[in-house]
Amino acid sequence: MSVESPGRYVGGEKNQIVKPITEDMVRTVFCFPDIYEIGMSNLALQILYKVLNGPEWSSCERAFSPWPDMDAGMRERGIPLYSLETRSPLNEFDVAAFSLGYEMCFTNVLQMLDLGRIPLRSADRKENDPIVVAGGPVCCNIEPMADFFDAVFIGEGEEVDLEFTAVIKKYKDGGKKDRKALLKELAKIEGVYVPSLYTPKYENGRFAGFDIEEGAPASVKKRIIKDLDKVDYPVSPVVPNNNVVHDRAYLELFRGCIRGCRFCQAGYLYRPVREKSAKTLCGQGISIMKNTGYDDLGLLSLSTSDYTGLHELTDNLLEDFSSKHESLSLPSLRIDNFALELMEKASQTRKSGLTFAPEAGTQRLRDVINKGINEEDIMTSLKLAFEGGWSTVKLYFMLGLPTETMEDVEGIADLALKIERLYFDTMREIGAKPRKPEITVSTSMFIPKPFTPFQWEPQNTKEQFLEKQSHLRNLLKKHRNIRYIWHDVETSCWEGIYARGDRRLCDVILEGYKAGSIFDAWDQFFDYEKWTGILNSHGLKWEDYTQGWSTEDSLPWDNIDVGVTKAFLKREREKAYAETVTENCRSKCAGCGAACYKAGICP
Amino acid sequence: MNVEEQLKQMTTKLHQHEYVCRGLFERRGALSYIGHLDLKAVFERALRRAELPLLYTQGFNPRPMLEFALPLGVGIDTEGDWVDVAMEVPLDPEEYVRRINEELPEGVRVIRAVSLDEPKKSLMSVVTCAEYRIEAPGITEALLNVFSLEHVETTKKSKGREVRTDIRPLLIKPLTSSTPDSAEYMCYAGSQQNLRPDVLLKAVCETTGYSSEAAAEARITRLALYGGNYPDITSIEGLT
Ligand code: SF4
Repeated sequence: MSVESPGRYVGGEKNQIVKPITEDMVRTVFCFPDIYEIGMSNLALQILYKVLNGPEWSSCERAFSPWPDMDAGMRERGIPLYSLETRSPLNEFDVAAFSLGYEMCFTNVLQMLDLGRIPLRSADRKENDPIVVAGGPVCCNIEPMADFFDAVFIGEGEEVDLEFTAVIKKYKDGGKKDRKALLKELAKIEGVYVPSLYTPKYENGRFAGFDIEEGAPASVKKRIIKDLDKVDYPVSPVVPNNNVVHDRAYLELFRGCIRGCRFCQAGYLYRPVREKSAKTLCGQGISIMKNTGYDDLGLLSLSTSDYTGLHELTDNLLEDFSSKHESLSLPSLRIDNFALELMEKASQTRKSGLTFAPEAGTQRLRDVINKGINEEDIMTSLKLAFEGGWSTVKLYFMLGLPTETMEDVEGIADLALKIERLYFDTMREIGAKPRKPEITVSTSMFIPKPFTPFQWEPQNTKEQFLEKQSHLRNLLKKHRNIRYIWHDVETSCWEGIYARGDRRLCDVILEGYKAGSIFDAWDQFFDYEKWTGILNSHGLKWEDYTQGWSTEDSLPWDNIDVGVTKAFLKREREKAYAETVTENCRSKCAGCGAACYKAGICP
Repeated sequence: MNVEEQLKQMTTKLHQHEYVCRGLFERRGALSYIGHLDLKAVFERALRRAELPLLYTQGFNPRPMLEFALPLGVGIDTEGDWVDVAMEVPLDPEEYVRRINEELPEGVRVIRAVSLDEPKKSLMSVVTCAEYRIEAPGITEALLNVFSLEHVETTKKSKGREVRTDIRPLLIKPLTSSTPDSAEYMCYAGSQQNLRPDVLLKAVCETTGYSSEAAAEARITRLALYGGNYPDITSIEGLT
């Protein structure tokens, strides 16, 4: 069979762990519902691979979504989806654990189960079928996929994973009898949500709460790792042999974000902010480079500049790196003198572009979303950068934010033009010959997400998004130094219904899959018309999920508790309407509720 | 370093460096499914992990200096390929073999190595012939048929266009070690003239009616590379 990039189906990488299969071991297959190249740059995969391969009685292997050419070939020849390590079909495992990083991968979960010969619905699985679980940020509202998972991890997986597999071990030792009893047992673990114990109710076509089976908790509380210095980090990650999206090693600086941007789900889900010490990180950074042979180390977090030990860490790492021709990648750095100097030192590559995420075009709207930067900050940083020889700038914005008007959209164009002018002014001022500056404006669509102050907001329609996009395009098209790029509207619109969807979508997703949809996250495969047809044939409309809720309504994710309270989110929503900003966690605690974890920077 | 020294460093080719380790390597299994550039990266990372005294290319993106004798196509095993690596200081070839093999992923292995002192020619430029094995049902009869022809026309992609070409002059001889389902042969190879085994297989199917499904499942192994002018061929090992 001849397929594109066969290297993605064979494994055999450095640091791969292949344990001999034994009868009394719990075997987990980590399933990533996208291609190998994307899955292998996923930190969660590397972390849990290490954790689950730790104890003698537990093993973890990997499986990825086969690309459509391979998918077709496997179906034609009746080849099941197998793990890379021992070439075992998925249905031979005790646990199939999916990592869900984005909503649009849902049909790929069904593809993997189907090719792996595992019954798609939890209700149809027998005692010997694998326990199918999911983890990752999307799981804070897993309702659209609830029928397909036996259990779902809420929050961070490092500790709960082994507690979970320990229960599976008992089940296996006991001869795998009574799956339903097992699920009830699993629901007792903190942070484990068993959807089948919760039956949704609907009134007048809207979600109206759950009937909860006895013994299951009224709400499932997110798990976190309190002390990140104490938890194992994968310093010997699997090193792919073929070209992966990000060909570098990764170091996670901290979890959470002090900022509290009101549109950002990650900012609320990962609270409280917990940092790793610079000492731990430095040691891990040096070993990871030695163990992988990569020549670039990426520092990961929601906002690199907010890491308090950044100075110390980068100094120490760069000292070690310079003799070995290794470089540091520093994404999401706030541009100031220190940052510019650091970027210069960190990378031996040419001056790469600078990125800014003002997210909105006017100060009014930036205050609504609590994006704590103003135009002056942006201009001061850019002036510094232009003086330092940079001339490539990328600006990220969102369209469709709550309270947005066309004036705000026009503000995006204004800002880009001001930056262009600033470039030429600065060049004149310092007497340098101007180059052709490259200013890129990139817009994505704002999708209201659960557990944010905007979770009750209506989402812009496809038509509204398109109108704003074309308006902006018209404003920018005459300017040769400014490039405008935008995301696909249809994919984002659809993502919105999954983000705040309920369990009625399970049948829709299943039907879409059966009608041949996979890789919906890839624009070239996503078919909006087809999906809308299927949705409507189930008596549902796009608006049912995107027109917004009142703050009194029951929400499909009300049975999940991420620490941040609804009362706080309501307060933040009011403040957004009042265009009032909230201070960041480091300068003043806003009382969001996450202090209940007694961890990180919370008082 | 002053500008002149820097410039010299930047323009110096691998083979003009003082200490070069030339290794004979094999690959099979999972590692055969990756392309040439990926294989190069696999070697680079293994060399870095082994913490060998590597020489790096100059410029914005320094990389270990290494050069392969002939690119290996996706899906092709090898039992006899060569790779040169430039070192900062002399390194005992045996130590080189031991240390790099500890770090290479399963499926690639350096069999033996020699150290060369400032080779005059690049490794790529000394390759002239190669031996291959193709394993597929009844393949040897079909290949011998092709050897009996005077011209073997096929199409091949050149600069994005399909061009007709006669590949017969590139074939040297079938090897006596062939068996009915395992054809071994020698052909011209290298940067001057080169016959890729997939192009040959395609021609075999076109001229003899050999099944293209069977050809698609064939296992291909490169057995050896040689330098010199056929029939005066020599091992790559000491060719500098
Ligand atoms: S409790 Fe206070 S400090 Fe902690 S995450 Fe919430 S707002 Fe920030």
